[in-house]
Amino acid sequence: MPTPILVVDDSAMARKMLIRALPPTWDVEITQAGNGVEAIEAYRAGKADVMFLDLTMPVMDGYQVLECLQNEDLNSFVIVVSADIQPVAQERVLKLGAIAFVKKPVTAEVMETVLKQYGVAL
Amino acid sequence: MSVVVPLSEDQRDALQEITNIAMGQAASSLANLLDTFVNLSVPRINVVGVEKLPSAISQLVGRETDVTAVRQSFQGYLRGEAIVIYGNDGCKELGDLMGYDEELDRSAELELLLDVSNVLVGACLGGMIEQLKGVGENNSGELSFSAPSMMAENVPADAVINASKLTWTHALLMEVNFSLESHDFISHLIMLMPEQAIDKMRGILDEFIASF
Repeated sequence: MPTPILVVDDSAMARKMLIRALPPTWDVEITQAGNGVEAIEAYRAGKADVMFLDLTMPVMDGYQVLECLQNEDLNSFVIVVSADIQPVAQERVLKLGAIAFVKKPVTAEVMETVLKQYGVAL
Repeated sequence: MSVVVPLSEDQRDALQEITNIAMGQAASSLANLLDTFVNLSVPRINVVGVEKLPSAISQLVGRETDVTAVRQSFQGYLRGEAIVIYGNDGCKELGDLMGYDEELDRSAELELLLDVSNVLVGACLGGMIEQLKGVGENNSGELSFSAPSMMAENVPADAVINASKLTWTHALLMEVNFSLESHDFISHLIMLMPEQAIDKMRGILDEFIASF
């Protein structure tokens, strides 16, 4: 069965770039969200076994999504994908429950390394 | 008055993402300089007629109190003006953040603003042009910058630019802002490009988008 994954970014191009960087052998069913509110909705609908989450977004940003997920039964791997390369940003999202931080622009090599590290079957 | 053609939705989306990535680098430089966490904004991008520039800038800055602005022009593959706008209350905090013990006099404060502007403009524009390097014809990815200079001191935000002095008809207006956690400091980085650069930018963005 394909793994439901959710790609959250306000930029359509960023979502496209990320999806292209996913391992081609990974059997996934992709859902996209343009902001945090849409992301939470998709998460609750069971579409996010793995979530790729941008931080800087209108309406509801990535930090708020992570905070919100803490009040849910967290059964989703969240990988933050952001242009914010401050070490503090990284520390914060990991503290909020993200399993990894990938900096933009994302590459296929980094993506594969991160996914393998967390035992995602490719 | 000339007809202003906005960027297409795809062009604006791509430029916003490119700006976001560049801004991340600029914020990191600023965070290192001030040793504090910097909040990033969602980049705002628009094409406006020059006669509308003062009000558009005022709206982006969104404050009632007076501001101080530093400008740097850039040229090379693209050309335009980068303007960094500071709220006057925030200027005062910079000295503290930089770890100066005594209160700075105005000239030391202004020098600090020039330095911070240089860091933000260099990192942000440098980051943008780096991502777009090689996209478009003869795009060497090189830009040269003028030294930062004081543009306006203690003026309302809509008086930073005198539109009647610009020879452009319209401008690509991009804004990002950097605010600091638990401090009043905020600075807006505004990038302006004239019509010829906008046409070039549209071409670069179309090619960039097509490469994905």
